[in-house]
Amino acid sequence: MAIPHLPAMLLFSFLVSVVFGVLSKDTPRDRLLYGGKVFVAFVGIAVLLGWIMYPAP
Amino acid sequence: MANKAVREAVPAKAQPKLSTLVRVCAAAWVVPGLGHLLLGRKWRALILFATIVAMFLMGIAMRGEFFSTSSGSYLQTLGYFGELCVGVAMPAARFFGYAGGDPLFVSADYGTACLVAAGMLNVLAILDVYDVAMGRKP
Repeated sequence: MAIPHLPAMLLFSFLVSVVFGVLSKDTPRDRLLYGGKVFVAFVGIAVLLGWIMYPAP
Repeated sequence: MANKAVREAVPAKAQPKLSTLVRVCAAAWVVPGLGHLLLGRKWRALILFATIVAMFLMGIAMRGEFFSTSSGSYLQTLGYFGELCVGVAMPAARFFGYAGGDPLFVSADYGTACLVAAGMLNVLAILDVYDVAMGRKP
C-alpha cells in the first residue's frame, strides 16, 4: 500500500504524539496538551523543512 | 532528628520483587501494553497497544524492510534489534508470510522507519512499566 508522503507523515506524527503524551504526563488534560504540542511540532517542523529545501534540486 | 521523625511518619514504599519486575517488563516487551495491563493500567495499556501495533502495521503496509544480523553492517544489526523491540510482532509477521519488505517499493523507506519507530516506542513503554512497577509513576 503506497501511502502518500503527507498522510504518512501525519499518521506517523499522530501515533508518536499519542505515545509521548500518554507516557510523559500523568493527567488526561496534560496528556492531551502535550500530545497536541508534539503533533504540531512534528508537522510544523516538517512543513518548514520542506519549504526550506524546496529550492534544492 | 527531624529527618528521623519524617522517615518514621512516612511509610517506606514496598519495593517490588525482582521476579515481578522482570515479568512485567518481559510482558511489556512481548506484547505492547501487556505490562501496563498486568499493573492494572487498562486504558494506558489499550492506547499503547493500539498505537504501537498501528505503527507496526503501517510499516508492514508500506512494505518496510526487516533487517537481519547476517549482513555484517552495524546499522543493519542496530535496525534488527530496533525492530525486535516491538516483541512478538516481527516473528508473527514472518509466520504469516511477510518476507521482509521490498526495497524497490515506493514507500519502503518510510515503512522501515515505521517498523523501527514502533520498536523504539515499545522501549519507552517498557521503561514506563518499570517506573510504574517501582512506584515512581502513578
